[in-house]
Amino acid sequence: MEAEPQDVRTTSKIIPLALPKGTEKLCELCQRRAHLQCNWCRVTFYCDAEHQQADWIGIHQRICQLLLPIRTPTLFSLQRAGRIEIQLKKAELIEICRLVAESKLSEGKHQEAMPAAQFCLRCSIDVHGPSTVQLVPAYLLLADANMGIGNLALVAELLSQAEWAVLKSPECGHAVHHKLHRSLGRLHTATGNLEEALLNFANDIYFASEEYGLDSTVTCRGYFLMAEVFAKQGKMPVARSLYSEVAQTWHSHLAKVLKTHIKNVQKNPNLLLEPSFDKAHLVEVDGMLGTILEFEQNNSRKDSAQIALVAHCLAMLWFLGRDDLKALGFGSTALQASQLIPNHDLTESIQSLLQLVQTEPHPRCD
Amino acid sequence: MNAAVTRRHTGPFLPEINSKKRRIGSQHRTKQESLPTGSVLNKSTQILSRENIALVRNSLKQNICVRLLQEGFPRSYSELFFLLRFNEDQRTAAEPGSDVLLQTPLEDQRDKLETMKLHLSLAEKAERTGSWSTVNEQRLFLGRYFSAPEDFWLSLHFFLSCINRERGSRSRPATEARACLAEVYLQQGELEEAREQAELCLKMSEDGGWLDLSGRPLRLRARQVLWRIFNRLADAPLADGDYGKALKLLHQGYSMATESEDKQIVGEAAYRLGLTYQSTGDHDTAKQFFNTCMQICGTLEDPKGLGQAYKAMAKSTESEGNIDETVRCLEKLVDVTRSNGLQHDLTDACLYLGDIFYSSSQFEQACQYYLQGYEVACNLGDVALLQKAQVLAAGARAQSFFGRYSADVESASHAALRRLLDWKETRGGRDPADNTAAAAAWY
Repeated sequence: MEAEPQDVRTTSKIIPLALPKGTEKLCELCQRRAHLQCNWCRVTFYCDAEHQQADWIGIHQRICQLLLPIRTPTLFSLQRAGRIEIQLKKAELIEICRLVAESKLSEGKHQEAMPAAQFCLRCSIDVHGPSTVQLVPAYLLLADANMGIGNLALVAELLSQAEWAVLKSPECGHAVHHKLHRSLGRLHTATGNLEEALLNFANDIYFASEEYGLDSTVTCRGYFLMAEVFAKQGKMPVARSLYSEVAQTWHSHLAKVLKTHIKNVQKNPNLLLEPSFDKAHLVEVDGMLGTILEFEQNNSRKDSAQIALVAHCLAMLWFLGRDDLKALGFGSTALQASQLIPNHDLTESIQSLLQLVQTEPHPRCD
Repeated sequence: MNAAVTRRHTGPFLPEINSKKRRIGSQHRTKQESLPTGSVLNKSTQILSRENIALVRNSLKQNICVRLLQEGFPRSYSELFFLLRFNEDQRTAAEPGSDVLLQTPLEDQRDKLETMKLHLSLAEKAERTGSWSTVNEQRLFLGRYFSAPEDFWLSLHFFLSCINRERGSRSRPATEARACLAEVYLQQGELEEAREQAELCLKMSEDGGWLDLSGRPLRLRARQVLWRIFNRLADAPLADGDYGKALKLLHQGYSMATESEDKQIVGEAAYRLGLTYQSTGDHDTAKQFFNTCMQICGTLEDPKGLGQAYKAMAKSTESEGNIDETVRCLEKLVDVTRSNGLQHDLTDACLYLGDIFYSSSQFEQACQYYLQGYEVACNLGDVALLQKAQVLAAGARAQSFFGRYSADVESASHAALRRLLDWKETRGGRDPADNTAAAAAWY
């Protein structure tokens, strides 16, 4: 998909007389009076070029054409069958927006995620009605995006909306509870209410374990967030043990992924060219493991086994993410650390990974 | 949980309704009184934190798990969660009507969950500071805590986690855990595992001089367990008739028993060995072991054991054909059982004695013992035994008449003929009891 269609042709001025009487067009992002419209779909309006650009990058380039059938009333859309079809299309749109927002959030692009999250919420309200439990994912996405840009007051408001919706329907499933508690925990961490943050993360981990299992990487993220809070409280031993749980879980997960990857490549060498880890996820995990590695390296009593484990994780991660330089770098860190321990059982697998990196012709990741 | 909450709250609510003050006192006063209580209630509701609300709203399982995590014990949390999940899976996989479904789910048993939470977190704390023996101490405690039969899987889990640690697996608690583990395996009938653990425990405790939590030396305890294991191991070859193998195992058990400084089990081991030799036909060796058993039971004043030994001894001497010795043994058995009130054994002994006399054609004595047995059985109220004794006694009595009657018929002397005729005339008496009485009078 095109990344920068910043062409004058993409927008045009609204000519009020060309529109049906009495319909005032509002900006897609800020809901103020609009002056521009998107030239591709002609059903989306903006107050200025800046908002148009933000929306284009955020979500519009992905859903521009999908909006057309929803926003143009036809004879068919007024009938019952048409309405059902439009509901289905909206549900599809919500799903697309959610995925886009999620991947932008895990890449750390909070501002960019905003339009997608906003549209997701608006469309969800449209489909499910106000303050229903189905809105919770959209609220949480928007809250996460706002948390990233430091708009904590709005985050608190959004989360209390979400909490209210969950309270009204307690049978909404473990996954929703888990996500809500995670966002609440992050809010409390940001506002410095550490005890409350711990309580929420504890609940988050509990619900995640119920939904995804104890050793899932989703649950593991909760441990990581919790460890940060404990570190802020100065309880280093607890943080250390949480970090080691995270490292352990990711190590076994990555080892499994690597194994299947190697098997697949042996069957079909063309797969080599495709990264087997999506980019958004990669950035997030890299950040997390990087924090742990730094924590271990700065620790006064250096635990080489732990350092080797985390560095090995990072090496595997970047090997799967097609960045040989980074994979080599972390691999050699891991090897150094593991060689400090006699007969360490990781040494062998680290060496074989390094060999793999050096022998396989990899296209560099840009 | 809800019931407990309401009960706690009934205190402040009820007295006000029933108190006489309210009825007698002026309206003004009641108002004054009720106002402060109202504000107190309001205050307490304000103080309620999210955490307190969660205690009432959420499940016990969630509360325990969340508290563990919040206090910073991720490993304890995952262990507890794993165990709860395991129990849940077992319940869902169980067929309707099976035992697992009859038990209370683990997640509803507050005491057990709180105990696990406390000791797991203590263990994790100790693990962080590197005091491995404390870790094992806590795990051992948990293993021993779950002693109920339906919780054996939990005790197994904790004992195993105690001995399978990288560090501290050679400590005192780990050694005791092996002894406990052997006992659990023995209970479950997994004899080979039990033997392995007990032998390891013995090896590790040999030079440690360690005591278990009840103050018994571990090396003796290991030997006692091992004796029980060998005893059970011998069951299978005995059932197959493989006496050589059984004897080997029982001898191993016997030597464990003698080294364990526990007289009681030495006696039992000797008895078991004696019985096995008896089955092989080696009565001399059997008698030696029975003698050992008798001595031990005598010093321990164990009438039951003594009785068993006498009976077994009697069997051996009987098979050898030494009837006098057999009778002597059985008479002792009768004495022992009678003086200790072991009614069942007494009946058995009497009937056995009767059998011996009967088979050596001493019908009078046989009948006498059968009748004794019959009386004891009457006292016991055991109808089956009673009927058996009745039949035997009657048979013996009949046999005893039979001899003299046929002698009279054969001799054909005047006096004999007279006796026969007299008997014949009284035989048709109306009362059957008279009948026997008459016969008894004549013969």
